[in-house]
Amino acid sequence: MFNTDTLNALRRLLLAMADDHLIIGHRNSEWTGLGPILEEDIAFSSIAQDKIGHALGLYSILNEQLGEADPDTLAFMRNETDFTSCQLVEYPIGEYDFSLVRHLLFDVAALIRFEDASHSAYDPLAKLARKVKGEIKYHVFHASTFVKQLGQGNEESKARMQSAINQNMALALGMFESYEGEELLVQQGIYKGEAAIRTAWLGEVGAILLEAGLKMPDIDKLEPVYGGRKGFHTEYLQPLLDEMTEVFRIDPAAEW
Amino acid sequence: MYGGGYIHDDQKKKPEMQAEDPVLLAEFEARIARGEKIEPRDWMPADYRRQLIRMIEQHAHSEIIGALPEGTWITRAPGFRRKLALMAKVQDEVGHAQLLYSAAETLGKSREDMINDLINGKSKYSNVFNYPAKTWADVAVIGFLIDAAAIVNQVANSKGSYGPYCRALERICYEESFHLKQGHSVFVYLATGTPTQRAMVQDALNRWWQPIMHFFGPSDKMSQHTETLMRWKVKMASNDDMRQQFLTMYVPKIWELGLTLPDPNLKKNPETNQWEFTEPDWNEFYEVIKGNGPCNAERLAVRRASEERGAWVRAALKRADQHYVTPLA
Amino acid sequence: MNIQSLDPRVTRLGIDSEEKNPDQTLQREEHWETFQVFHQKKRGEKHSSVGVVHAPNAEMALLFAKEQYARRGETVNLWIVNTRDVLAMDYDDYDVFSTTPEKMYRDPAGYKVNEKIAAYKKAQLDV
Repeated sequence: MFNTDTLNALRRLLLAMADDHLIIGHRNSEWTGLGPILEEDIAFSSIAQDKIGHALGLYSILNEQLGEADPDTLAFMRNETDFTSCQLVEYPIGEYDFSLVRHLLFDVAALIRFEDASHSAYDPLAKLARKVKGEIKYHVFHASTFVKQLGQGNEESKARMQSAINQNMALALGMFESYEGEELLVQQGIYKGEAAIRTAWLGEVGAILLEAGLKMPDIDKLEPVYGGRKGFHTEYLQPLLDEMTEVFRIDPAAEW
Repeated sequence: MYGGGYIHDDQKKKPEMQAEDPVLLAEFEARIARGEKIEPRDWMPADYRRQLIRMIEQHAHSEIIGALPEGTWITRAPGFRRKLALMAKVQDEVGHAQLLYSAAETLGKSREDMINDLINGKSKYSNVFNYPAKTWADVAVIGFLIDAAAIVNQVANSKGSYGPYCRALERICYEESFHLKQGHSVFVYLATGTPTQRAMVQDALNRWWQPIMHFFGPSDKMSQHTETLMRWKVKMASNDDMRQQFLTMYVPKIWELGLTLPDPNLKKNPETNQWEFTEPDWNEFYEVIKGNGPCNAERLAVRRASEERGAWVRAALKRADQHYVTPLA
Repeated sequence: MNIQSLDPRVTRLGIDSEEKNPDQTLQREEHWETFQVFHQKKRGEKHSSVGVVHAPNAEMALLFAKEQYARRGETVNLWIVNTRDVLAMDYDDYDVFSTTPEKMYRDPAGYKVNEKIAAYKKAQLDV
């Protein structure tokens, strides 16, 4: 149904999405047991689990429909330069302000992406997106509630939120880095493309920050942090992968 | 999830059991004898309230601290299935802490006071979590055997007299059945896997066996005090009975995989039907309770740091007109 | 000196191992208020009381309730109510209910007519 070039571009898209979700899910799981209050600890952990689940769904499509290796192999056995996650998601968890704002920026984009994907001409992606977009709706509700309430909380929380937005924004723009063959996917109705998602995302994030009483940075003055989609990463990804794969690599052939 | 097991109560400092109005006390005890539950705003003896708060609070602390040994391996779980399962399991422990603190709150102690007493050392938690989780196989041993021990304790306590605690335990016991299955699964895969995996789980078993034998606490002296707590259905079974139950249910599951336990005297006596074993080192047990275990300092420091670093979030969202009242069941 | 843990996450937290644990880490009401949670499993069923969440306001309470009380099994709906807004009866007033089970005039079982019908039919036959 789709030609070779289109399928290759599709692989790139799905791998980038899967890698993004795996790495951010892994990062957010670091908060389990260490969160700012019990109820939020529980909530944030669920969200992290959902992200890992979405990664698994995407890797499964790559494996079952597009001839790639099985999900465990893709996640636990590739080298750092083979990962096409954006650099935003590999940064350490920092304090809760950094993690919450990263969660907001990532999840607003994820919701737009998955809602669009639920109409994809590529059926396996459409099916997965229709199934999981409800979860992402909750993720955005969680993130925006926190950012709005903390943005209007006290002087300290306002300052922390603003600082976290300023720290995250250029990194977040890196989510929309283009890649080879993207235009083929847009032409064939597989998804609406990075530029369109970015535009919608800017609108939504702007609205949330306005309600939160926070300042949207001047996007035109920011240099998006690209490179992730081409396998260029910060010094944070290799140690993350080393840690994540430490037990698996004791014996990749073993059943754990 | 990690049912307190042994409830610490410093015998020397314990005040005399308080005298209560004989009529109210008789009605209270008759209600319990009929199998009815005590609810939060009922009249209850001061000692009943005190003992329940202590027990439920210790159980809650055991859950939140219990999240830390297995949490050690959350970022390193091998493969998607184990990664998701371990995240969900450790999350449940935090969830159980929340449920248990809430049950204890109905008796009039605030969550802030309970957490303060955990961090300052006044309130105890299950000793077993003061030991280090050195390898992935420790996750298997904790998830299988310590959960199993906790379930023995929780099933007993779920038939107790205090409504909110019983309701919390019902929910917890249901989630525990997933934990046990998950833990046993990791355990079996390692035991039946490669020589490296098998050696890893045998080593973990050797290191955790004594803390597991400590879990239910030393033999109960059947004092007046214990007898009252049993009549009030606060204490539901003796430490020895629960330990025997645990050994009966789970030692065969270890031996059927060809794994060994580091106690040559461990065997079931066919005449008495009781398990015989080498008495574990109770001096070590008391040392660890006092705070001198391998991980006590780290566990409490992590709890303290988590609360301190989250303080700005809690303060920012707190409304000026906020007014906490004791929660309903 | 920072705590070096077997848990790499804990090592990264950079916790001072010399720092003493204070007597009082938390102040009064730092963990907010409580909200009672009601859970509906399926459409058509009743909402049941399942427990509480600590939250700073109703919106957060609903957010937290979803995770604490609806992460397993089926759910279609949740309610939250601030504990302060719940007016509960005293268990001591249980005596207001003590005669209720005996009010057979309110109960279907309080209306037995089979004997009367049988007697009537028998009388008809005897006529």
